[in-house]
Amino acid sequence: MARAQLAAIALSLAGVGVSLYLTLLHFSGVAPTCPVSGAINCEAVLSSSYAVIAGTSVPTSAAGIVWFGASALIWGWRSDPLHLAWSAIGLLAVVYLVFIEIVRLGVICLWCTAAHFLVVAIVMIAVTLSLRGRGLGRGA
Amino acid sequence: MSTKRARPMRKPVAHTPVWVGPAAIAAVLAVVVATFLVIRWYTTPITPTPPSVDTTQQVVSQITSLPASEFESVGQGTANNLIKPVTGTPLTGATGKPEVFYLGGEFCPYCAAERWPLIVALSRFGTFSGLQATSSSSTIEFPNTPTFTFRNATYTSQYVDFRGVESSDRDRNPLQSPTAAEQQLFNRYDTQGTIPFVDLGNRYAFVGSMYLPGALAGKSWQTVANDLQDPSSVRAKAIIGSANLLTAAICKMTSDQPAAVCSSVTIQTLEKKLG
Repeated sequence: MARAQLAAIALSLAGVGVSLYLTLLHFSGVAPTCPVSGAINCEAVLSSSYAVIAGTSVPTSAAGIVWFGASALIWGWRSDPLHLAWSAIGLLAVVYLVFIEIVRLGVICLWCTAAHFLVVAIVMIAVTLSLRGRGLGRGA
Repeated sequence: MSTKRARPMRKPVAHTPVWVGPAAIAAVLAVVVATFLVIRWYTTPITPTPPSVDTTQQVVSQITSLPASEFESVGQGTANNLIKPVTGTPLTGATGKPEVFYLGGEFCPYCAAERWPLIVALSRFGTFSGLQATSSSSTIEFPNTPTFTFRNATYTSQYVDFRGVESSDRDRNPLQSPTAAEQQLFNRYDTQGTIPFVDLGNRYAFVGSMYLPGALAGKSWQTVANDLQDPSSVRAKAIIGSANLLTAAICKMTSDQPAAVCSSVTIQTLEKKLG
């Protein structure tokens, strides 16, 4: 398995871990371990109405588990277009969530940001491989 | 001279450097984040300075002495009827009268919105004192929503008791705690654990605000109070409409007392809606 592929899988599994942590916190009602300083406030974000998928009681972080879990599986296959498409979906979600944090709430959740960075890193791998145009099969 | 034809040279293939893709993504994301920060800068109302004690009293006096015709003109207005009938032992207060119980937090914009109609409605049955002007948190949706806090307020009425608990201050520091019995009510009727939670004598209960806090965005306390004088204003339709729904529920608790409030056409119509 190529190094880039392994890196993407590792990043995806790390994302599953972060999302799982945030989901467990949501259901246990415990505040996350996170500094509260100025614009950084995990609790403010995770207790807002945007912390659940609209119209449901499902935490947004549960969607993160699904996305990262699927990402880990997808990167197990050799399919550049699928990697790119799934990454694009993740990137759009990150842009939306960052919009919520900055524009709607005015605060940043560090744990959420960690998950966002993982998505962006996966996107970068997918885009790099796609630009190279040689795919994983050629030892990218 | 040689007649040998020169071999055509192969045009070098331009490889895109590996760093171009990630760099482009990082640059685009940086622009997106910067744009969001600018939007936030332009759309966030500045943290309002709460009015002086005298002005606060004047505003409270203004919103608690609205003429009956104002309530009749607005009816339900644009208020969303969140009030649900509940079954349980009738909730009574310290003086043995049916109790309205409110649990909220000063940081919470929905609590900020709902306090206005609560104050307007309860003031038709009694008198508040000690209400202080404040606003919801700056770091939350609907930031800096103008409102009043119940933290040091007292309420007297010959018809109902009122107990308001503000669980956190504007900066989310713990403030007041509900009693064990009140916590049980909250757990029973507010399964999502969200605020504001209002229990109306254990006959009705609801969670949330009956209108969006955005209706108060960027407005001063005085502006909101002035707008309540005009039944066609956005804020009158939202706040007085909500107050009428609350009044109808309280009238159910007090067996339609006082008649001067509860016998109006609007309140009687809304009482039927509540079930």
